[in-house]
Amino acid sequence: MKIAVLVKQVPDTETKIKTKADGSGIEADGVKYIVGPYDENAIEEAIKTKEKNAGSEVTVISLGPVRSVEAIRTALAMGCDKAIHIDDENSNPDAYVTAKALAKVIADKGFEIVFTGKQAIDQDNSQVTQQVAEFLGWPQVMLVEKLEIAGGKATATRRVSGGKEVYEVPLPAIFGCEKGLNTPRYASLPGIMKAKTKPVETLKLSAEKGDAQPKVVLSNFRLPPEKAPGRMIAGDAAAQVKELVRALREEAKVI
Amino acid sequence: MAYKVNYRDVEFNLFDYLKIQDLGQSEKYAGFGKEECSAILGEALKFAQKEIDPLFKKSDQVGCKHEGDKVTAPPGFKEAYHNFAANGFIGMDVPTTYGGMGLPVGLTMAATEFFVGSCIAFSMYSGLTRGSAHLIEAFGSEELAQRFVPNMYGGKWGGTMCLTEPQAGSAVGDLSTVAVKDGDQYKIKGTKIFISSGDHDLTENIIHLVLARVEGDPAGTKGISLFVVPKFRVNPDGSTGEWNDVKTVNIEHKMGIKGSSTCTLSFGDSGNCIGYMLGEQRRGMPMMFQMMNEARIACGLQGAAASSAAYESALDYAKVRTQGGKTLILDYPDVRRMLITMKAYTEGMRALLLYSANLDDKEVVEKDEATKEKYAGRLSLLTPVCKAYCTDMGFKVTELAMQVYGGYGYIAEYPVEQYMRDVKISSIYEGTNGIQALDLIGRKIGQKNGEYFRELYEEMNGFCTKQAAHPAFASEVGSIKKALDQVGQVTMKLAEWGMSGNVLSPQLHAMSYLYNLGDVFVSYLLTDQAVLALAKLEEIWKSQGADNEEKKSKICTENDEARFLEGKVKSARFFVANILPQATARTKAILADDQSPLKIRF
Repeated sequence: MKIAVLVKQVPDTETKIKTKADGSGIEADGVKYIVGPYDENAIEEAIKTKEKNAGSEVTVISLGPVRSVEAIRTALAMGCDKAIHIDDENSNPDAYVTAKALAKVIADKGFEIVFTGKQAIDQDNSQVTQQVAEFLGWPQVMLVEKLEIAGGKATATRRVSGGKEVYEVPLPAIFGCEKGLNTPRYASLPGIMKAKTKPVETLKLSAEKGDAQPKVVLSNFRLPPEKAPGRMIAGDAAAQVKELVRALREEAKVI
Repeated sequence: MAYKVNYRDVEFNLFDYLKIQDLGQSEKYAGFGKEECSAILGEALKFAQKEIDPLFKKSDQVGCKHEGDKVTAPPGFKEAYHNFAANGFIGMDVPTTYGGMGLPVGLTMAATEFFVGSCIAFSMYSGLTRGSAHLIEAFGSEELAQRFVPNMYGGKWGGTMCLTEPQAGSAVGDLSTVAVKDGDQYKIKGTKIFISSGDHDLTENIIHLVLARVEGDPAGTKGISLFVVPKFRVNPDGSTGEWNDVKTVNIEHKMGIKGSSTCTLSFGDSGNCIGYMLGEQRRGMPMMFQMMNEARIACGLQGAAASSAAYESALDYAKVRTQGGKTLILDYPDVRRMLITMKAYTEGMRALLLYSANLDDKEVVEKDEATKEKYAGRLSLLTPVCKAYCTDMGFKVTELAMQVYGGYGYIAEYPVEQYMRDVKISSIYEGTNGIQALDLIGRKIGQKNGEYFRELYEEMNGFCTKQAAHPAFASEVGSIKKALDQVGQVTMKLAEWGMSGNVLSPQLHAMSYLYNLGDVFVSYLLTDQAVLALAKLEEIWKSQGADNEEKKSKICTENDEARFLEGKVKSARFFVANILPQATARTKAILADDQSPLKIRF
């Protein structure tokens, strides 16, 4: 089975994000990057699928600037076999352009199943997986928490409010992975050493996106307003409740 | 509270100061460039934070249990141990022949700091397994190594070192465990106490390395041999066979590292315990010293790692805890004094240990025999300093951490009291710190007619000469030079006493002497690092056009790297100004040679 996993390199959740003075983006200086946390679940699922299906191969694909190769190396160290880096030539494309290019590469290479994280945690759009499916004309299941593959079909379970949905889809298909799906393995030390020798093919976004033009323009970046400090309400319980209700109704205007 | 570490400082030591990535150009470490080393280090920290840190409290609160004939480690230890092994962390720095990873020792030390710092007790199981497997690998026949070592590095079997007996602790030569020849193997009989990882449920078998005397061999350390004694016998095909008559009599209830089982083991109660001799007969002690020397440095690492964890935890607390209105305790001068003391010691210990580990790597890649020997000699000289200095100062740092927390630090809800209890043992086991001091003055200083010591002295002296007129650190360098001269002076005095037949005065002052050497060497390392840090900081200032103090200060507030580098400079200045003078005071005391401890009638 030809398996692909799409990963995005994103800022570490613990990195203190600073915006550029002109609002054109975030300061790259001092940012530590990691593999998207949900992408780790996608990698794990891809490797597990390979382990269950003899003769399979996992290709990790990442679209992004040159530094994305670090994320690719991590995925290779975890156990992916080879990689494709689609260099975005620092164009910071939107989800539409990204999905167009990824869909083309997936079609060109003839993958039979594709895994992604349910969303990247940098912009949190959760768009690429669904759009890739659309452009390929494939079924997609998002927020997958359980997956079984047999006989050219996949049974995917996703959580919805108050219950679970179970989908049966024919392959090829694409799956957006959720945290509960599995426990991502670590990049083992032998894995890290082996990762160096695994092939990474480099493609250019300008060549893969065709005539796709971005539909989203990012015009300004700013940090969310700082959270105001909490306020202690004095008095006995009855007075406190009264004051709290008043504050919620008149000041916060939430009730 | 989650385990934290100054990761940048670890990287600074490895990649900026020691430049371990250059080892990647050697044949031995080909392929270990900065990218690979960073990836390994990052993965080690992630593992420590996600898998080991959650064991920290359980290790203490649940501890090990001995019920019936079974010893169980705290919940979660077994799963984490197998995960740890599967990722290749047990045999990181040992050859790849029998399943090691062949990584540089310096990199391994740095990664191990995270494992130890997140839970000392957990790290003991893998540490002892690595040490004992490496000993079998180094001295055993190929057959013996093949039979035992891969399963040990692979996490299937554990390992221990069995030295201490009820009447033979520091004086290991008094041991009474006997080995009687029985065909190609030996029958072992005797009792060992205080055996770390002696019994547990993490692995299906445990391979003990047991010091014993072959029947008829002379008394004392010269008659001791070393044996590989499995808990369950191992069949020639590698499968686990019958029980080997190794019985756990008891486990100790301890002040700290409760998650590490400390066992009394009885070998051959029924006369049915088989051991395989490792290496040559009566050569047990020199072989065991390979493992003990490694274990001594590992002890030093426990001191440093606990310091680091306790410091980070106290620092976090000081940043949120207010007293006297809205003032953070971080803003009180006395709290700041404690925090920077902890920071400076922690960085100093880390620098000392990584420098020492790097000597190992330099020795391995060096082709010239004389230079090789020089590195090995220096490591052997620094081993007792690494062990005793880092464990005593490490305990002191955890104690300061508790002081920063105040009353809350004394309560089990916060982690610092556990750090303090867990790390106390490090100054006691693997040769008490008193023994380390005697090793330093009695054996190490005089080794090869004092050549290793002279070379170390010259390295520090050379630094002082080179940086005597440094625009920013001339004063620190002057203080180091003065303290170094005093170390030289005291060294001469110790030799003089020794030659005139006064053996007691050197022993009396050995500990002070070790602290002095530690303080001076750490001052040198921190200041040498500060010189590098300041140069890097000046580059940042220059690149951002900071031409006045205000702009420089702004950059140090806003830019993490600049703040780190400035912090390195401050650590060095503080250490030399506030801690190094203690060496001068101790020098005065040593030279005064007060004899009261010897004369007092207790």
